[in-house]
Amino acid sequence: MDLRFDDADEAFRSEVAAWFAANLTGEFAELVGAGGPGREHEHLEARKGWERRLGRDGWIGLGWPESDGGRGLSWERQVIFYEEYARAGAPGRVGHIGEQLLGPTLLMFGTAEQRRRFLPGILDGTSLWCQGYSEPGAGSDLAAVSTRAALRDGEWHIDGQKVWTSLATEADWCFVLARTEPESTRHRGLSYLLVPMDQPGIEVRPIIQLTGTSEFNEVFLDDARAAEADVVGEPGQGWKVAMGTLALERGVSTFGQQMGFAREFDDVLATARANGAAEDPVVADRLLDSWMELQVLRHSAVMTLGAPAGTTPGSEANVAKLMWAQWHRNLGELAIDVAGAAGAVAAGFGDGELTAAQRLYLFTRADTIYGGSNEVQRTVIAQRMLGLPRGSV
Amino acid sequence: MDVTFSTEQRDLQQVLRDVLAREDDAQLWKRLTAELGLAGISVPEEVGGAGGSTIELGIVVGELGRVLAPVPFLQTMVAGTVLARSAAGRDTGLLPDLADGRLVGGLASPGTTPPVAARTDEGLRIDGVLDHVVDGPRLDVVLTPVTVDGTAVLAAVRRDADRAETTTLPTLDQSRPLARIALHGAQATEVGDAADVARAHDLLLAAVAVESAAAARSCLDMTVEHLKVRVQFGAPIGSFQALQHRCADLAVLVEAATSTAWYALWAVGSDDEPRGGSVTAPLAKVYAAQAFRRVAGEMIQLHGGIGFTWEHPAHRYFKRATSTGLLFGGRSWARGLVSERAGLGLWATGPRDRSSDRASSR
Repeated sequence: MDLRFDDADEAFRSEVAAWFAANLTGEFAELVGAGGPGREHEHLEARKGWERRLGRDGWIGLGWPESDGGRGLSWERQVIFYEEYARAGAPGRVGHIGEQLLGPTLLMFGTAEQRRRFLPGILDGTSLWCQGYSEPGAGSDLAAVSTRAALRDGEWHIDGQKVWTSLATEADWCFVLARTEPESTRHRGLSYLLVPMDQPGIEVRPIIQLTGTSEFNEVFLDDARAAEADVVGEPGQGWKVAMGTLALERGVSTFGQQMGFAREFDDVLATARANGAAEDPVVADRLLDSWMELQVLRHSAVMTLGAPAGTTPGSEANVAKLMWAQWHRNLGELAIDVAGAAGAVAAGFGDGELTAAQRLYLFTRADTIYGGSNEVQRTVIAQRMLGLPRGSV
Repeated sequence: MDVTFSTEQRDLQQVLRDVLAREDDAQLWKRLTAELGLAGISVPEEVGGAGGSTIELGIVVGELGRVLAPVPFLQTMVAGTVLARSAAGRDTGLLPDLADGRLVGGLASPGTTPPVAARTDEGLRIDGVLDHVVDGPRLDVVLTPVTVDGTAVLAAVRRDADRAETTTLPTLDQSRPLARIALHGAQATEVGDAADVARAHDLLLAAVAVESAAAARSCLDMTVEHLKVRVQFGAPIGSFQALQHRCADLAVLVEAATSTAWYALWAVGSDDEPRGGSVTAPLAKVYAAQAFRRVAGEMIQLHGGIGFTWEHPAHRYFKRATSTGLLFGGRSWARGLVSERAGLGLWATGPRDRSSDRASSR
């Protein structure tokens, strides 16, 4: 057991930090702290430019194999990159869905031709993706997908509706889970299709959230088209492909996320000191709990991410999601309580003009729902990790 | 970075698990010390130990903690490791006997006002009471901070010294005895300075954290097994979502406590440069003891009526968990250390320090 980064890794950290110092300037200076969950609407055009800058200098696909255009870096170096990304205050990514979900899926299931066609656009930051999984009738129960696709005249014709689609207004492509075998049920007969967003058969409608802002969307597919070749894995095997993608979600980027959490905690603590809330022993107790639990999140991430593949039950992502989502929501509650009566006054009139504490408080209600609700995580942990029997629900 | 145990460490864990599965309590101390030589596992070879790290120490306390083995091992290993780390401690000549289990050692409770001592020609002379000393009635040597001329130092006192008087306390947790040791001018040896005191406490807290996390996992394992076989309403009760979700929350807690405890023990063991052990050790102890208490409490509930009986082991874990949280300095003291050492200034055991305004990122 040796839980330190070695000297070569620390040298890499300096290289990364220097790159951020040199690049998060000029046209990108305004992006410090922008974007990310709850602030996805901010500076979208500039953030797309930032993606291209990251891509130009080789900071996308760090863990991908070099043969597919990645850099083949160790998990330690990926962790360091995400930590330095957050430490520099670099903006919330808009290319992360392609980089962290679609790309790894193509690396695992895609043909050589598909990898050649789609990976370079992700790597250079020019091609943005969104995820077409959830539907009005298929939330936690993803196998209830009812969007249909049929192959006619060399094209997939797709009809249905997707929902909670992040960044659908910005994305160039969507990976869509659709039922391609008409009589099939549940997880059989689904296919994983790559669908261009800019076409007459697709309409995107933003969803106004309880924050007054919008980052999730509805996507309506009315005879939307995808090329016959743009199915990942065999037609009818889409469930296996989609599950492979979900298993890859929430990995090394956890560390950067935690760095962002630490920044948010520091802001709450600073407010509590400045306005006297920290004098209240109950608030002080909660602040200390919050700080301690944030360290626990980090130690857990170190110990589980570093475990060799195949030596664990494979539920680390579920454990991590349940932990961070609850921690973050609790921080939101703490932030609004620390604000006191000022927490009841908005930053300005009109949509979306919330204070930072209000935004944290309100948006973190989504944390325990998206990406698998707390309840879904608990069921997966109970059955897959603890081996408790499936049965009554 | 390497988060795994080595092959030798895994072997050690397996050997211990096998021994603990068949050994009766009366023979256990002798078997673990004289035959397996584990008391000095984290003591350097040149002073009679096996030359292992705090990780080996953690493996031993974890395995013993899983079964609540009633042997004063944690205390003895920590005492030996503490003495081995200071020059004065090595000079006492106690180490070879601690390392092979002929002497039982341990630390007095942290977090209390240290007794006062005076320097004499023979060493230190201590006046004061050491209360709630864990494994106290079995200890031959007690390490305790004392105040000499207003400065904290670490002292080693023999419990059979003249003018040292031990009172055995009846305990909630019957697997771990406690004593009050009154020192009325008892002779002692100075074995370290204030920094050694802090390091001794950090090692103790991190070791206790690993023990608690391992015991909590044991509670969870037993509970999950019970839920798989106990049938009510025509189904194993573990198939009910209400119980599955509670077990999932416990599993998350156990994973988190385990990771944090091992991080702390690794960090206090790598003292070539600071690794955050001074913050993580008290943090891990508080977190793991609390997790252990919650899991053991749920173990009683999820076993139903049988969990409330004397015959079932659940109450022994619950009492160990509770005592662990209350002892070793208790919760408030440890939280105060975290707040102070992290520069948070939120929860001080003494006057609150509002000048420290360090950022806490990382």
